[in-house]
Amino acid sequence: MEKERRYYDVWGDSVDLKDLLISIVLCITGTLGGYIIAPNEPPMPLVFGLAGGVIAFIACSVFIRPKRNVHAEEEDAS
Amino acid sequence: MDLTIILLMILASVGGAVLYTLIGIAPGTDETAVLAPVTLAMILLGVSPYVVLAFFFSAIVAKKLTDSIPVAVAGIPGGVMAAPMVEHAMVLKEHGLPDVSIRKMASGSVIGTLVSLPLSLLVASLIIPYAETISKHAGLIFFLGAVFLALMASNKILSLLMILPFALLIQGLRQLYWETGIVPADTTVFVSFFLGITIGPVVFKLFELMNKDVRDKEYTEKEKDITFKRQQQYKGFPNPFKILTKQEIGTSAAGAGLGTLTFFLTPVGMTIFLGEALTRHIKDPVKRASRAISTMDGLTNASYISGTLIPLLAIGLPLSPMAIGPANALFNAPPVMTPENNFHHIMSMSEIMIAAVIGSAVAIVLTFYATIKYSNQICAFVFKRIPHEALIGLFAGLVVMLAFMDAGWVNIFGVLLVALISGLLHRFGVNYGVMFMVLYAAPWLMGVIG
Repeated sequence: MEKERRYYDVWGDSVDLKDLLISIVLCITGTLGGYIIAPNEPPMPLVFGLAGGVIAFIACSVFIRPKRNVHAEEEDAS
Repeated sequence: MDLTIILLMILASVGGAVLYTLIGIAPGTDETAVLAPVTLAMILLGVSPYVVLAFFFSAIVAKKLTDSIPVAVAGIPGGVMAAPMVEHAMVLKEHGLPDVSIRKMASGSVIGTLVSLPLSLLVASLIIPYAETISKHAGLIFFLGAVFLALMASNKILSLLMILPFALLIQGLRQLYWETGIVPADTTVFVSFFLGITIGPVVFKLFELMNKDVRDKEYTEKEKDITFKRQQQYKGFPNPFKILTKQEIGTSAAGAGLGTLTFFLTPVGMTIFLGEALTRHIKDPVKRASRAISTMDGLTNASYISGTLIPLLAIGLPLSPMAIGPANALFNAPPVMTPENNFHHIMSMSEIMIAAVIGSAVAIVLTFYATIKYSNQICAFVFKRIPHEALIGLFAGLVVMLAFMDAGWVNIFGVLLVALISGLLHRFGVNYGVMFMVLYAAPWLMGVIG
């Protein structure tokens, strides 16, 4: 079974530090990497950087499970 | 301005509204971080200023309409600006009324927009004769703003005491960059410092968590529990004037008016201060809370619109926290836009107003409708599919990239330093507003002292 899980409250929501580290590294690689490899004529670096960030963000959203337990309550008649 | 441009403006507004409706809901997203880079990219890509401006207004209105939704459903602020509303929204949530919260907030936003568009035009035309004098004394105005907000902060003494040291830090780094030739002498590093302050609390927390003792003490084994009530579908087309009571419309409009008049002050500080001041007298907690949230939402929306619009119409210099932050690219996006040749100079007053109205109208129609009708579905999607880690990661990625863009590798560490210090100050009760004001006032302040 899964070993003990530890979550921390960062910026108002629970996170797993390992996942957070992966996500930060991935996103910085995405934005900064995109910015640097782009052809050096504005606005291309910015566009590549933003695109890199968005790709990294989507990748993280797919691979990292949100640490939220969402319960939906049915509205009572009140 | 012909029909094609107007069509393009409407299209861009629709895009902006959809994109920022989703972004607005995501917890923790900061206006500057999500708006400034996209606007900057559009301008640098050579998109027509008319289209960019319509997009921008649609984006801010949509973002402001939705960033209070997670507050209402889960008590999580959807952005820095929504933080002051958490307390009041929780009151309504405890009384089982999160749907009321959402409707009141969104309606407050709409009122704020409707009041601030014409009022901004009026204020701008009153200011135009003094535009030159104002831009000459911008530093002093920002400094007085910092002192004023420091007196409103929860830790007044520290807030006042840190004004000078913080200005030293900012100007010190800039001077160092100029001295070492990292940036040319006519470039002032701004955006990345601004983002450094914004991300401060997160950075500070992460540095704390690098300490094993803190890690062993602070963890929880439980995931965040989010309970949200599935609300009844709102029937018919929502009308903000029916959702709010007369008094709520009144205070929202008053809040919006004050927010417009104080466009040069930082919105977060004004929201907290005026939002509380206008509702303090109400005894019933539910009534007080719903009045407070509609007023605060009206006020923030108004201060965002006026903070962009008034400097744009009247002065052409980014003389408000909003203009110098999220809307900065409209004033300065070299080489396309410069302080001497930007939206203010390219577009006439009526053209700016038309773009603002198109953008806001599209966002109100689309986002207000979606917010009232589908807040459940949108929230469920965001909560179940968007991990908080990815959001913090994306924000960190953007900050690092913009730091690098501003002044190279060294500035990544410079921004880290700014972030650490502002995170610490924030923890000790100095609010963002004071730090932002100091950031704007720093060059003037050092000039006076030096």
